[in-house]
Amino acid sequence: MATIVKSYEPTFWDKLYLPALMRGLIVTFRHFFRKNVTIQYPDQKHIPPEGYRGLHRLNKYPEGRIKCVACEMCSAACPADCIHIIPGPSPWDGGKERYPVRFDIDLLRCIFCGFCEMACPEEAIELTEIYDFSDYTRDDLVIDKEGLLEVYDLTKDQNYYTKKNLSKASSVNTSIDT
Amino acid sequence: MDLLGFTIILVKVLVVFAATMLGVLVMIYAERRVSAFMQDRVGPNRVGPKGVLQPIADGIKFLMKEDLVPEKVDKPIFILAPAILLIPALMTFAVIPFGSSINLFGREIALQVADVNVGVLYILALTSISVYGIVLAGWSSNNKYSLLGGLRSSAQLISYELAMGLAVVSIILLAGSLRLNDIITDQQGSFFSWNIFRQPLAFLIFLIAVYAETNRLPFDLSEAEQELVGGYHTEYSSMKFAMFFMAEYANMITAAALTVTLFFGGWDVPLLDEGSLGLFGTLLSVLSFLLKMAFFLFLFIWVRWTFPRFRYDQLMRLGWKVMLPLALFNIFLTAGYLTLKALG
Amino acid sequence: MPLLKIDGKEIEIKSGTTVLQAAEANGIEIPYYCYHPALEIVGSCRMCLVQVEGMPKLQVSCNTFVSDVSSDRKVDGKYDMVVHTQNDLVVQERKNILEFLLLNHPLDCSVCDQAGECYLQDYSFKFGNAHSRFDENKRVRPNEFLGSQIVINHNRCIMCSQCVRFTQEISGTSELFVEARGYNSKIAVLEDNPLDNLLAGNVADICPVGALLSTDYIHKNRIWNLKKQPSVCQDCSVGCNVDVFSQTDQILRLTARENLDVNGYFMCDIGRYGFHRYEEIDRVLQPMVRKGDSFVSADWETAIQKTIDLIKKNKSNTAGIVSPFHTNESNFLLGQIFKDVLGSLPPITGEEITYPSGFRISADRSPNTRGMNDICEGIVEDLASKIKTQDIRTLFILDDGVDRKLDDKWKKIIGKMDSVIVLSYAMTDLAKLAHVVLPGHAPLEREGTITNDKGRIQWLRPSLPVKVESKPDWEILMLVRNALDKKTEHFVELGEVMKKMGEKFENYAGITFFKVGNQGYSINGKSS
Ligand code: SF4
Ligand code: SF4
Ligand code: FES
Repeated sequence: MATIVKSYEPTFWDKLYLPALMRGLIVTFRHFFRKNVTIQYPDQKHIPPEGYRGLHRLNKYPEGRIKCVACEMCSAACPADCIHIIPGPSPWDGGKERYPVRFDIDLLRCIFCGFCEMACPEEAIELTEIYDFSDYTRDDLVIDKEGLLEVYDLTKDQNYYTKKNLSKASSVNTSIDT
Repeated sequence: MDLLGFTIILVKVLVVFAATMLGVLVMIYAERRVSAFMQDRVGPNRVGPKGVLQPIADGIKFLMKEDLVPEKVDKPIFILAPAILLIPALMTFAVIPFGSSINLFGREIALQVADVNVGVLYILALTSISVYGIVLAGWSSNNKYSLLGGLRSSAQLISYELAMGLAVVSIILLAGSLRLNDIITDQQGSFFSWNIFRQPLAFLIFLIAVYAETNRLPFDLSEAEQELVGGYHTEYSSMKFAMFFMAEYANMITAAALTVTLFFGGWDVPLLDEGSLGLFGTLLSVLSFLLKMAFFLFLFIWVRWTFPRFRYDQLMRLGWKVMLPLALFNIFLTAGYLTLKALG
Repeated sequence: MPLLKIDGKEIEIKSGTTVLQAAEANGIEIPYYCYHPALEIVGSCRMCLVQVEGMPKLQVSCNTFVSDVSSDRKVDGKYDMVVHTQNDLVVQERKNILEFLLLNHPLDCSVCDQAGECYLQDYSFKFGNAHSRFDENKRVRPNEFLGSQIVINHNRCIMCSQCVRFTQEISGTSELFVEARGYNSKIAVLEDNPLDNLLAGNVADICPVGALLSTDYIHKNRIWNLKKQPSVCQDCSVGCNVDVFSQTDQILRLTARENLDVNGYFMCDIGRYGFHRYEEIDRVLQPMVRKGDSFVSADWETAIQKTIDLIKKNKSNTAGIVSPFHTNESNFLLGQIFKDVLGSLPPITGEEITYPSGFRISADRSPNTRGMNDICEGIVEDLASKIKTQDIRTLFILDDGVDRKLDDKWKKIIGKMDSVIVLSYAMTDLAKLAHVVLPGHAPLEREGTITNDKGRIQWLRPSLPVKVESKPDWEILMLVRNALDKKTEHFVELGEVMKKMGEKFENYAGITFFKVGNQGYSINGKSS
C-alpha cells in the first residue's frame, strides 16, 4: 500500500528563517554549559564496556596448560585470514593430544570481529578489553603465542585498565622474537 | 606637524597594531575553545594554563614548517597575495575610534589613529581591496580548486558589498556625516538612540553582509573544504598560510569594531557623559567598546559552529533577491522619515 | 537385464551388481562405511540400510544383489526390485545407526586429523542426530602403535573392518585382526607381526574415521588448509595415481587416487613417504657457473650463453644424456639437440614386489623408462664405451636427481670431460662435477607427461609453486636449443612441445593434456 506523504508547506513565519536561526543558536549555546565528554586519553583511560573486542589472548588452565588445541577453527572462521597456527603433538601428558607450536595473529589484518572466539570449541581464544597496543613496525604487530599468553596473565583477574599499575599498559608486548 | 604630535600618532599606531595582533591570537584560542565547548569537548588545554599558549605554539609550528612554493605557480603574485589580504585587514582599524578622547600633555588626544572625514568610505574601500588577495591567491596557485575559491569569493563580495553599503547609507543619512566620530556622537544619549534600535533592518542586513565579507561560515564558500579542498589557500603552507589565517581573524575584529561603531554607539556608554569623568570616563568608554566588540566576536564564533554552509545558488539568491531590495527599501524608508521630519 | 526402481528412478543394470553399486552409479546417495569396492563385502556397519519392497526388514544395500526374477513375482508387472532409500523408515534407521556409532566415539574433532574428510562427521551432519542420549561414560582406550608408521586411536574406531580386510586381501599379510567380540572388540596386531608392510600407509587412507593415523601426518595441519592436486607418483615405473596435498610451498602428504587401470585404489609407502626426499636437499635455485673449484651464481642469459659456448667448442664430440626421471617432453627436446650421441646412465632398480591382489611395485625405480626409450631414437646401449670410441669431450646431462648415486667408474668418466652441463634441481654428486648447472624443477614441481611400463601416458601436474629462479626443464632445453640453432621453434607452452613430439612419434600423435586427463591414456590402444 502506498503511503501518501504530505510535503510540509513552510508558512510565512518559517520563510523568515530568523526564528529558526535563533533556535539553532540557542541549541549550541546550551551545549556551551554542558559537561564535556572528553577523556584525557594518556592520563585517563577509557574503560571499555564488557564484551569489548580488543587485543586477543590465549587462555590457560589453572595448572598453566594452554587451552588451545590448534584445531584451526578460529583461523578457518577468520574473515581477515590473519591467524596462523602450526600445530603439533602436545608436550603434556593426558587429555588433549594437540597444541599450537606457533600461534600468530597479524593484528594489522585483524578486524576485531570476534569470530575467532565464537568459533573456538575450547574457549581458548578471547578478545580482551585492551585497545592501546600500537607499535612502530609491522612485524611488531604480529603477536605470537607467548605474547597472547602474556595478555592472558595481564587480563585474567580484572579489567586491565582499572589496575593501579597503568604504566604497564604501554608495555603489552606484541612483538615476536625471531 | 610637531614632534609630539608625530610621536603620539606613532604610539597610537603601534598600540592599535599590537592590540589587533593580540586580538588575533586571542581569537584563535577563543575559536578553538568555544567550538570545543559547543561540541561538549575540551579543546586545546595542554600548552600553558588552560591551553592559552596554544596560538603561540601554533605560530611556532607555522614558522617551522616548510614553506612550499609549487613549481607551476605565478611566483610574485603567489607570494604577494597573502600580504594583499592581510595589510588592508590591519589598515581598516585606523579609522575606528575605540574610546572617547583623553587629555594628555595639554592636548586632547582622540583615541583613534586617523580621524578621516570619509571614514565609512575608507572602510568600504579597504575591505574591497582585501578580496583581491583572495582572488589573486586563487589565480596564482594554478590550481582549479583555488581558482574556483577565488572566483566564488569575488562574486560573493560584489553581491554582499552592495547590500552592506546600502545598509550603511541609511545610517549615514541619519548621522549626516561619513565621519565615524560623528556617527558615534549621533548615537549618544539614551539606549534607544543607538542605531540598532533606530535601524533594525539595516542592522540585520549589515550583520549578514559582514559575515559574507569576512568569508566566515555560513558564507565560507571560497574555502569550502568539502568541495574545494581549502579553496584559495590550498597551495599555501607555513607562514603564508598563517597570514591568511591571521587576516581572517583581523577581518573579524575590524568587522566587529565596525558593527559596534555603526550600530551600538561605538565606545558610548549609555546614559553617561564620559567627558565629565576625565580619565576614568575614557577608560570606561574603551572598556565598553571592547566589551561590545567581544560580544560580536563571540557571535562570529557562535554562528560558525551553529550553521551549515550555504549552497552557492542560495547565497546568490539571498544576496540579490532579498538583501538588496530590503536595503533599498530601508533607504527609502529612512529618507522618507527624514524628509517628513524636515518638513515638520 | 533386471529392471530396478530406486526412489522412483528406473534403472536397468547387470544382474549380480549390488543395490549400493546400482544406486551409486546412478547418482543416488546411500551412506556406507564398511563397503569398499576393492574389498570383500562384509555388511557389518549397517549404514547402508535401504528398504526393498517385499522384504520384511530393511536390507543392507551393499550386500543385496540385483537379479532377474520370474515374471509372476515382478512388482507392478515389470520391476525386478523396488528400493527406497529416502523414506521415513530408512531415514530413522540411519539416525539410529549413527547414534550407535557415536556412543563411544569421542567428540574430539578439534584435535582429530580426519576432521574435514571424515565420513562420520559428514554423515552425522547429513543424516544424524544433533545430540546424543547416551549418559554413561564413554569407553576410553589408549592409543597404540600398530606398526612403525601407523597409530590407532581405538576410541574413534567404528569397527568397519576395512583395514583388516585390506591386510588380508590386498597386501596378503594379514597383520590386522579384530580382537575379542562385541563391546570389547578392537583392531589389533600380534606383537611379533606388526603392520609394517610396504602397503601399510593405505589403511590410514581407507579408514573412514580418524582411527588409523599415519605418524607422518599426525597433528601436522588441517585438511581444509591444504591444496589437493591430482598427480602421479614418480618412484617406480608403475606410476600410481596420487593426490598431492600441499600448503604454500610445502607438501604435507600424498594419498592414493583411484585409477583402476594402474593402481586400483592404493599406493605403496615408498611413494607415499617418498616426497620427504626432496625436503632436505641442497636445492639449486639459480644458474651456477663453475669458477675454479667452486660455483658462482649467474643469471639465465649468461648461463645459457656459457652452455652453448661449451657445447660449440666440441660440437661433434658432444653427447646428451637423457633421464628416465624426466618427462617425455624434456627427453624429446634433449634428443632433438643431440641427435648424434644420446645415452642414459645405468638404470636405478629395486626389488620387484607383487601382492596377491595384483598390486605391483616395479623393479625399475624410475618413472619414465618406457617413455624415454619411446621418445629418444638411438639411445646407445653402452654409453661408457661409446664415449671412449667417439672421443666425447662434452656432456649435457639431464640429472636423475637425488636417487642417482654415482659410482666411481662414472665419476671418472665424467671427471675426464672437457665440459659438463647438468640440468638438475639439486647439488647432486653429478651436479658437483658440472661446469654449468641449470636449475630445473623437482619431481613434484614438474609438468609434463610420463609413460609407465605398461605404456600408459600420464599427466604430471605441478603441485608446488615455482621456486626462485628455477625454470621448467623443457623451457631450459628449448632455450639452449634456440641459442644453438636460431632456426628452431620457440615454444610458448608445453602443449606445443607435445604436438611436435606427436609429429615425430606415431605412438604419441595427438596426445594432449586433455586427452591424457586424470586417468591417463594408453598407447597400446587398449587399457593395460
Ligand atoms: S577478531 Fe575476527 S579478524 Fe580478528 S583474528 Fe578473530 S576472527 Fe580474525
Ligand atoms: S584458539 Fe580455539 S579455535 Fe583456535 S585453534 Fe585453538 S582451540 Fe581451535
Ligand atoms: S556398507 Fe553396507 S553394511 Fe557397511
